[in-house]
Amino acid sequence: MTPGEFRELLIRAVSGDHAAVEEILLLYLPLINRYSVIDGRPDEDCRQYILIHIALNIGKFII
Amino acid sequence: MDHKVKYEKDELRGRFTRFMEVVVRNARNNYLKKLSRQLPIVPLEDVPEEEYAREDMPLIEKPDAFTFEEERLAKAFSQLPLMRQRILTLLFVNELTPAEIAKQMNCSVQHVYNQRSLALKRLRQLLREEGADV
Repeated sequence: MTPGEFRELLIRAVSGDHAAVEEILLLYLPLINRYSVIDGRPDEDCRQYILIHIALNIGKFII
Repeated sequence: MDHKVKYEKDELRGRFTRFMEVVVRNARNNYLKKLSRQLPIVPLEDVPEEEYAREDMPLIEKPDAFTFEEERLAKAFSQLPLMRQRILTLLFVNELTPAEIAKQMNCSVQHVYNQRSLALKRLRQLLREEGADV
């Protein structure tokens, strides 16, 4: 993804476009998965909690 | 010029990645806090007495754990619910801190304070009813 494409995607995600948010989440999945590990094992509840938290807070990012 | 534009756009991605790291870390911390708050705290009234009076639980190991100076106090103490007797024993006989008791009993520290306060209040009330001035 080029910087221009990323910027466009981010603008859409921040303005509340669900498809764009989903794409951003996919892009940052490795980071999300890394933080979803509890006691050495991936915790699906934690992952879901993080995903919801991102979806609720992505609009706060100032471009 | 192109280089400058590219730099600015990459800077956006870097800034967003840092934002995401903070959001994800906060979400994880909130989740862990939420988990720790979900310890099974059952209201005392809902616990069957035989459940917390089991012999394998370190309740009041010996009937003479307290050396009562007054028979009235012993009587009033025996009228308290077993869980409150246990908390008072751990506090004043075993000299554990509320935090240690909370850990041992798998409940919150505030619960220990509440139960202690209620137990002492009830003790005073029972002693007053019997004519003692506490």
